Amino acid sequence: MSVDAAESSLGDPRLDERASPWARPRWLLLLAVAPFALVLPLFLNTIDGGRFWLHLLIIFFVWGIVTQSWNLLLGVAGIYSFGQIALYAVGGWVTGYLAMQEGVNPWLSIWLAPLAAAAAAVVIGLPTLRLRGVYVVLITLAFLELLRNFLVNSPYEKISNGGLGLLYVPKLDFGTLGEGRSHVMFYYTGLVFFSIATYWIWRVFHSPLGMAFTALRDSEAYAVSRGVNQFRARLFLFAFSAFFTGLAAGLMTHYQGSISPSILSFGVLINLLAMIVIGGWGTFWGPIFGTAFIILLEEKWLREGSLQEYRKLVLGLMLAAIAVLAPRGLFPVLADGLRRLVKGPEGEAERDEEPEIATEEDAAPIA
Amino acid sequence: MSEFLQSSYSGLLYGSVYGLMALGLTVIWGAMRLLNLAHGALYLVGGYVAWTVVNRLSLPLELAVPVSVAGAAVAGLLMYGLFIRPLVGRPGWDSATLIATVGVGIAIEAAALLVFGPQVKDFPSILDGSFTVERVLILHQGLLVIGVAAVSLLAMNTYLRASRRGMAIRAVSQDVQAASLMGIPINATFAVVIAISAGLAGLAGVLLSSTFYLSPTSGFTPMILAVVVTILGGLGSIKGTVVAAYSIGLIEAFVNVYVGSSWGLPVLFSTMILVLTARPNGLFGVGEVRRL
Repeated sequence: MSVDAAESSLGDPRLDERASPWARPRWLLLLAVAPFALVLPLFLNTIDGGRFWLHLLIIFFVWGIVTQSWNLLLGVAGIYSFGQIALYAVGGWVTGYLAMQEGVNPWLSIWLAPLAAAAAAVVIGLPTLRLRGVYVVLITLAFLELLRNFLVNSPYEKISNGGLGLLYVPKLDFGTLGEGRSHVMFYYTGLVFFSIATYWIWRVFHSPLGMAFTALRDSEAYAVSRGVNQFRARLFLFAFSAFFTGLAAGLMTHYQGSISPSILSFGVLINLLAMIVIGGWGTFWGPIFGTAFIILLEEKWLREGSLQEYRKLVLGLMLAAIAVLAPRGLFPVLADGLRRLVKGPEGEAERDEEPEIATEEDAAPIA
Repeated sequence: MSEFLQSSYSGLLYGSVYGLMALGLTVIWGAMRLLNLAHGALYLVGGYVAWTVVNRLSLPLELAVPVSVAGAAVAGLLMYGLFIRPLVGRPGWDSATLIATVGVGIAIEAAALLVFGPQVKDFPSILDGSFTVERVLILHQGLLVIGVAAVSLLAMNTYLRASRRGMAIRAVSQDVQAASLMGIPINATFAVVIAISAGLAGLAGVLLSSTFYLSPTSGFTPMILAVVVTILGGLGSIKGTVVAAYSIGLIEAFVNVYVGSSWGLPVLFSTMILVLTARPNGLFGVGEVRRL
């Protein structure tokens, strides 16, 4: 993995592990969770309504990957790119098109989704290199609108299908393994993808590169003067986060068996944003927590008839309230509270403290 | 000839619409460094208040105009009091206000959906009637929109240049701390700016709803185009907003007429990407001083 030039001249660029205890993987936690995650679908498959829970878990894996990668841009690097869902669409469309219109085996075409998304990310990333703040929001939204326009109005009927999207994409075929329990196999595929993506995002999060992004976000002039190559860092981050977003899109497209331009609607964008912001942007666990929370909120708690109408109202008020009451998001607040409850006030300095990645050091515009 | 006239008239009309919407956005950005993504929702408030006054209370539309401007201004002030003011002076201003205004916007849209339902509402024009020039249909309401937009832009410019409060707003937009030390009340100034901007959005809501219809989602497109105009013109610059609004309106109209109506928006967005790549702070934007 590339590291900025100045650091690499100092020899081993890895962080000193003792100086950064949060960067050590928590193997114990992993060992505790892994068997549970492996056995869960076999259990769910036997109970009533378990299939619905499996479905929720699969979409949790997909959106969890997307929000974690988007969080790298939004939260860690402070680049307000709103084009993440466009990259998702690129990935989903490429593999969906190949499988549905060209008869390529989904197991082969799905690997092109992350590559296509990463290539598209470089195209979107290049013009944003000179831009800052809200200008990035706009230019990425422009790309999103252009893509939507292309997918709806494209003269190539095979791509646009008259604006309806790709409706009959072949699903992933699990052969004899998937007979009668393809959703279980989708769960395992999702789990594998989610674990791989989470591992790599965790690596970047705690690497010198991750530090460089945070430094760039908090004080660009300082970071650049310390030898961080801003252009290279930004482009890498765009491509990296797009790669996993494309992978998630490939899985979702071959799980649902369709992809339509409605994926590019403002509602989907807001939902993803809410997952990151409500969970806690700029933190590692925030987006994962937020994704689970919003999926439960939308698909479980507010599912019944009349409650459904209040979804958007609840989401909007929550977003606004979070911005005012807990700008770091729910996860850091809950984690702090829990830690204080368990260990007393002195427990806060323990090793599992996330490094302060929330926007604490941003200079306030109005002092 | 009639094609040219048609595109010029539509271009002028689009430009006025965008200018009217973008004016409120740019004033807020100039004074507060806040991209108000609830602007489209305030437009909705204006539209629905006017609709209620006319259809439920059976009052004349002329009366509905001031009422809905006031309604939108009150909604803006509420948003400021509840969600923006607590953020003043906190770290992470940019992202926090972006999120807060997105949230308020969604909530207002959802509330409109719950109260008024998803149906598209018919909305009366303030001025009925029309005439044709060279086979081009010109609505009186369209001329009204063009006139009101021009007057608003001029009035806002004069207000900011000449009035005492306007000078205070400009002082705050240049340097909040210095302005505060000179005895300018910061919070009151912010409140005035928000009220003016929200009122303008409400005015746009009344004027445009007869053309674009009124539904819970109808504030979104005008807002996005207004954001495009504001950012292309250079955030915070009224001159830039005027130039960007009318050129975008004319470009869109000419492309629609001469190339085909499905090309208007793609051309617009491609232009925007090119302009921003060449001039990262918009056409007339003053580059932010990079903070150390």
